[in-house]
This record gives sequence, C-alpha cells and structure tokens, in this order.
Amino acid sequence: MKIIKYFLAVLLVGSVSVHAQEQEQKERQQGHTNNNKFKQLYDEFATPNMFRTGSGAPGPAYYQQQADYKMDIEIDDENARLYGSEVITYTNNSPDELKYLWVQLDQNMRARDSKTPLINSSGIGPATTPSRAAKSYLSKGFDGGFHIEHVKDTKGNDLPHMINRTMMRVELPNALKTGDKFSFAIKWWYNINDHVKDGGRSGYEYFPENDNRIYVMAQFYPRMAVYNDVEGWQNSQFWGRDEFALPFGNFDVSITVPADHILDGTGYLTNREEVFTKEMMKRYNKAKKTYDRPVEIVTQAEAELIEKSKSKKKKTWKLSAQMVRDFGFATSRKFIWDMMAVKIGEKDVMAVSLYSKEGNPLWGEWSTRTVAATLKSYSRMTFDYPYHKAISVHAPMGMEYPMICYNFGRPDENGNYTDRVKFGMISVIIHEVGHNWFPMIVNSDERQWTWMDEGLNTFVQYVAEQDFAEWNPSALSEGMTKYPSRRGPAANIVRYMGGDQDYIAPIMTKGLNTYQFGNNAYGKPGTALNILRETVMGRELFDYAFSEYANRWKFKHPTPEDFFRTMEDASAMDLDWFWRGWFYTTDYTDIGIKEVKKYAVTTNPTEEGKQLAERYNIDPQELVYFVEEGQEGFEEAMANEGNMADLPTVKEFVMDNFSPEEQQELNTPKYFYQITYEKPGGLVMPIIVEYTYADGTKKRETFPAQIWRLNDKEARRAVASEKEIVSIQVDPDLETADVDTSNNSWPREVTENEFEKFKSQLKN
Amino acid sequence: MNPLKRTKRLIHSLVFLVAMPAVLSVTQHEYYVSVTTVEFAKEHEAVQIISQIFIDDFEKLIRKRFDSEIVLAVENESEKVSDYMNRYLQTKLLFEINGQKQDFIFLGKRYDEDIVYCYLEIENIKEVKSMNITNNILYDLYEEQENIVRTKINSKNKSFILTQARNKAVLNFN
Repeated sequence: MKIIKYFLAVLLVGSVSVHAQEQEQKERQQGHTNNNKFKQLYDEFATPNMFRTGSGAPGPAYYQQQADYKMDIEIDDENARLYGSEVITYTNNSPDELKYLWVQLDQNMRARDSKTPLINSSGIGPATTPSRAAKSYLSKGFDGGFHIEHVKDTKGNDLPHMINRTMMRVELPNALKTGDKFSFAIKWWYNINDHVKDGGRSGYEYFPENDNRIYVMAQFYPRMAVYNDVEGWQNSQFWGRDEFALPFGNFDVSITVPADHILDGTGYLTNREEVFTKEMMKRYNKAKKTYDRPVEIVTQAEAELIEKSKSKKKKTWKLSAQMVRDFGFATSRKFIWDMMAVKIGEKDVMAVSLYSKEGNPLWGEWSTRTVAATLKSYSRMTFDYPYHKAISVHAPMGMEYPMICYNFGRPDENGNYTDRVKFGMISVIIHEVGHNWFPMIVNSDERQWTWMDEGLNTFVQYVAEQDFAEWNPSALSEGMTKYPSRRGPAANIVRYMGGDQDYIAPIMTKGLNTYQFGNNAYGKPGTALNILRETVMGRELFDYAFSEYANRWKFKHPTPEDFFRTMEDASAMDLDWFWRGWFYTTDYTDIGIKEVKKYAVTTNPTEEGKQLAERYNIDPQELVYFVEEGQEGFEEAMANEGNMADLPTVKEFVMDNFSPEEQQELNTPKYFYQITYEKPGGLVMPIIVEYTYADGTKKRETFPAQIWRLNDKEARRAVASEKEIVSIQVDPDLETADVDTSNNSWPREVTENEFEKFKSQLKN
Repeated sequence: MNPLKRTKRLIHSLVFLVAMPAVLSVTQHEYYVSVTTVEFAKEHEAVQIISQIFIDDFEKLIRKRFDSEIVLAVENESEKVSDYMNRYLQTKLLFEINGQKQDFIFLGKRYDEDIVYCYLEIENIKEVKSMNITNNILYDLYEEQENIVRTKINSKNKSFILTQARNKAVLNFN
C-alpha cells in the first residue's frame, strides 16, 4: 500500500518524502531540541564582533600585538650550551590596558622539575630490562630548562617576575596603554638537548666520528606569548605536544659559533661579506642566478675536510628578519650548503639546503629541488611566498620555523636508499616548507588548534606532492604514475575513521587531549579538505575560498571560525553540516544501498491500483500503473507496453498539455526502479551513484548531502530509465571515506575480508 | 611538525596514548609498535592472523638476525625474505587454543606504504573456547617495543597492548 501511494504521489505531485509515519504511536514521544545535522553552528561558533566578522574576515577593530627582538646568542660547542641575552620591545595594539606581560619559557618543559612527565600514566609490570629500569627509576634525566639570570628594564633595574613552569609573568612599572611600547632585557643560558636521544623540536644530533654536532635550534630564547581578543594572554602551558602561539615582530640576532661552523637561519644574513670567503661569495652570486639546479656554496669535499678539525676561534653571524613570528637557526662544521633561485611572482626566492655527508647522495639530489617546487605549489594555492628564502636542514626530525625547517631522510652507510626513504624525505620537506604558510604566516594558534596549521598544511602538501611528481617525473620510480601520497586520498583515512570510537576525538579538540594525534590533527582534516575540494565544492569554488582565507589572514591570527566562515562566505555554500560532522564529531561515512525494486509500467490496472483508484474515486482507466518485478503482470507489461510515453493515457495527456517542442524532447523510459539508500554512518555526505546498464554503458548521478535533511537514516529515489540497469554502485571512486563498502553495491557483492582477499590473490 | 612518522598509521584504531612517552618528539624512531589482528573465521574453521610490522623494523631485524644484505620491499627482493619472516614469526608468535598449542602456516606477505602485512593461518579449528596469544615480536630489537593484539573471536572484539614484561593475551569464552 505504502508503495503504490508513493508512486501515485510521484505521478500526481512529482516528489514525496519518505517520511511516512504510518504506524500508530503507542506511547507519546518526548520532544527534543533541534538535532538536525544541517542545523547552523550558532551554538558552536563564537559570536561575530568588531574584531572578527560573520564573514570570517578580520573586523574593523581587529588588532594584533607586536614583539621585536634584539638578541646576542653564543653556542658553547664543547659543553653543548647556549648563552643568550635579548631586548624585547613589546607594542600593545590592543584596546586593553596591560598590567603585566607573559613570556614563554619553552625549554622548561625539559627541566628536572617539569610536570610534563607527571601527566602520563605509568605502571609496573612483572619484569623489565636493566636499561629501562635505570632510565625510569635511577637516572635524574637530562638537566634542561632555562636558567634566567636577570630580567631588567632598559635602565638596568630589575623587573619583578614570576615563573609558572613554562611561562614567566613580568610585572610592568606602569600599565601599558593602547599604542604603548615597553622594552626589557633578559639574560639566560641552558643546556642544549640531544634531540635524537631525548626527543624535542630542536637540539643537536651527535656524531661520534670526529666528535661533532649538528645543531638545529629553536625555542632557544624567552618568547612573548600571544595576547588577543579571543584568549587574552595565551595561558595554556607548553606540555611538549601542542606547538606554539606567537606574535609577529622583527628580529635582529647575532649568533656566535666556532669559526669553522656554517650557519643559516631565519632572516637576511646582514654580514655575508664578513662570514663568507671570496669563493663562497662567487658561488653565492652564481646561485642567485641559477634557476634549474642547486649550486653548492660549500661542497661535500670541503665539508668533510672541515669536520676533521676544530677551530678555537669564533665567528659571529648576523641575521635580520621582518614580520616573522619566530626564529630558528642551524649550525655545524659538518654542513654542505647549496641553493638555487626560484621565480615566485616577480620576485626571486632562494631555495636552500644544509646537510652533512650522511644525507648524501639523497640530499644533494632532491632537497633544494623539493623546496623550490614547494614554494611554487603553495604560492599558487594561497599567496606568493613573501620571504626571500626557504631552508631545508638535514636532521632526524620534521619541524618548521619561519624560513627554515628540519627534515629527516638519511641513506644507509653506503649511501643507498629505498623509495620509502626518498619519498619520506621529499614528503617531509614539502610538509615543513609548507608550514611557512600555515602557521608561520597565516598565524593560527597551534597551542589550541593543532589542525589549523597541520590539517590545512597536510591538505596543501597533498596538492604539492602531486605537483612535484608532475614537474619532476624523473623522481618517480618505474611503474609509478603519480606521487605516492600517504595522506589526502579519502580511502587512506578509512581505517582511522572506522576504528574504535573509544580512541577517536573530534578534530575540534586541543591537540594534547587527542588520541592518535597524527590521524586526528593531520590526516583527517587534510583528507576532509581534499574531499571538500574534490567531491563537495569542486576545485573552482574551493580554491577561490581557500586562497581567500589565506589572503585575509596572512600575517594575522585566525581562529577556526574565521576559516569555516570564510570558506562559506567566498563560495556561497552553506557548509555548516560539513564542519559539524567532520570537525565537531567523530562520525564516519557509511552510505549503502538497502533495497532496489524494479517496476514495469502498464495501463492494465493492478489489483492494488484499482483499490487505490476506488478509494480516491478515480476512473481506473485514467491512471498508469507500476507492477513490481515478481508480481503478476510484470512480465506481460515489460513485453507489451513498451515505454511510458507510448501508453495511450500518457500520450493523450502529453498531446493536450505539452507544446510540440516539448513533445519532441520527451524521455522514453521503460524501466523503473525504486532505490532505497541507507546511511548507517553518522556523517551526511552526497550520495554518488553509478548505474551500469545492460549494454555495458554507465551513468553517474550525485545527490547533494541535503538529501538526508529530513531523514538521517534512509533516502529513496525513483529512477526511470530507457535502458535496463544491471548494477548500481555507491561511491564508485571511493571519494567519501566510506568505512564499510560491503553495502555499496547492488546486487550485493559478496565481500571477502582482507585475509580472504589476500588468500585468493595467492591462489591466482 | 611532522607527526611521528612511525606511530601515525599503524595504530589504526588503537590506543597508543598509553604507549606515548612524556615528550612527544618528532623523531622517527621514537616508537616501536606492531599490530596483530586475530580473527576466528568459523565458516572456514580457521583462525586468520594478520601481523602488521613497520618495514624498517622488520628489515633491521632480518639483517641483524639472519642476513645483513637483505633489503625489503624492493623489486629484486631476495626470495629468502619470506622464509626469514616465517622463521621469525614461528618463534615469536605463539598460539594456544582450547588448551592446545597450535602452529600456524605463513601464507605470505604484502607491503603497503611503510608496513608489511604478514598473513598467517591456523587451520582445522572448529570452535574456540579459550585462546592464549604470546607475542614476542621485535623485543630482540627494541626493548620498548609494544605489540598491539586485536582479536575478533565469537563475535567479540578485544584489544591488548603487550610489552616485553606483559607479553601474553588470555581470552576465555565460557
């Protein structure tokens, strides 16, 4: 009955909801709030204001603070210790009066009294190894953390200050009013950590051969915390995982290291003539004009010679950077140094690499070329790279700072490397150089929202990887047709999203509190954006909006809402449902085909059709009838009646109501199907369907996600077709991250589990 | 930052927060994890086992234990690799079903990105009332190795994180 009614309605009205509630309710249901998946995000989003508008753009009262640094740094290579003094000039652009300033002391996370080890659970098993026992229960551990020698004003008076773990509050002599500047000086030292042994986002790697170190330095100075309209002072401590929130400013940094070191870092090298030999200057000038390959400033032969001895002398390198949020540098006597020029817009940018012989031949071949390709791809997707250089440094980690990043990928002792090592290295370089855009320039708050830089960056990384292979086909191994990206394609996130819900957190969770950090903050948001671009919005709309976001917020501090709102504002697509599902929940995609019914059309009244006609007092001869396959009269109708347009009653109607032009363009459907889609998954996503016809041809149709707006569980569609449909496939290209594809086809394919698939492959 | 090259993908759906040391470092070689799924396929009267191990780790192990010349996941990979993997897993992965020690057959392996998937099967198992799984994979390479075991037996899913000190998963279905 339900079905006939449905089709009658289709005929008479044209569309119908599948919401028929025919069963009588035994108990009166309770009410509920709006739990529609398409409900706008007013409850989740901050209210727009004069600082941040509803469009996602900075508002008329938007402000940001500025912190400028003048620093003198010296590295004591013998003791692996860093000594520093700095003058910070802080400008209060906020409308608020500030009584104190907060300075970040990130190194304190490695201090012996750090609370970081105390927030992890530990237990005792029946047995352990001596080395583990010693490390856990005997050793005091690495003696890290800042030793603050003084905090003074510019006249040399001590400033009262209080250290709360990784943050230091500095009391101001007078409250800082809007537009005021305040300068103060800090002197400090600390023991540099071995980042290979003890971990960390900076530190040194030790090489027993010739007793040498490669220093890749960051968080080496007390840094201003961010004060802004959404957080006030950033008050979330550095526990070690969540990265950084930093204001923009200008840096003038003098770094003194052993005279035989090669050093590069954030900013312009302002005393190049002093620290370069004549030969290096000559090579450097050549590199500035070489666009097709890296030019070595220090060769491997030279580096190998230098690392064999140690200079007692010192040398000071001076770097000056404008509009950066942080500062990093790398120094070692082991460094080979190469660079090449890249045209970005009208400007030349230098792509630079620093690596030791341990990185070759891989690094000489691919590092600088990868930097160059990355600068082009990201510039295309966002805005032209505004700095003058980007450096990739060889170190067993993957970490980013303005203009400089530290990347892994090392061949074995004989210089051999596999594809895994090579593409791992190229991918990490693309990723870390890409961080120049997110978060170094589009300066989101990493401490609160890891995904805002990592997720967006992972997405653009995927685009850049595909570009890289297109521009450097020789980088691919035999048999490869495209870059082997591990993150980006929808299918690659299925295992995570379909996994144990007890260990999955929504993307909109502070990084420290997430399970499976990499999937949560990198893989899922990166993939979500890729799906948004390829499947939901289309490249044209997405790319415009994404670039609009980057341009609106370059050299500013965006929040998640600024991103979500801009994507909608610039595309005229209400994407609240997408943000809600993908970013605010742990729901997953699972859309399938529940049932397919096949019908023939006839003028011969069916029993049910007759009853219906009687009920509504219609002459049975005036209706057309659908007979389901398997019911009496189906075969007959298929054989005799032909297509719908040939039925006398329909013909008559058409002649009376359609213009001759319209009559020319009539469809002539003969096969009718009612397809019921089911959605066991919580995410609403478009239904992408592929019909395969008896003659082997195929047709695709996409129903927007809004098809689920009134029924989150099932959707029904009538299909009228001239050709017989033999099979139907949902999400044929696996672009929605559907976690269970066993219900994606009709007729239902018998799916083997992974184990049996492997076994049957073996047999073949 | 690059997210833990090693952790990120192995741990498809399992905890490893527990396994996470204090400082989340960005270095590649901070964590050592394998995942072994054990499923009782009643209709096939078989226990189907898939062990996922980082290629880097397995390669290092085979070089150390058997043959220093071995390179994994390359076109001209040595034919001995499967034998080595089989020999290794036979000694490190032990199954006791319904109180009886059971041997598995090493069907083969498959590489996907940086993980090797080893397919193992125990045949002729009509029912599973109890199962003990001892997992000693890679403790001879890394003392901090953690081995995750996920079981799907008699429609029940369970997960274990095994360490050198606690290397056995015990399941009872009575």
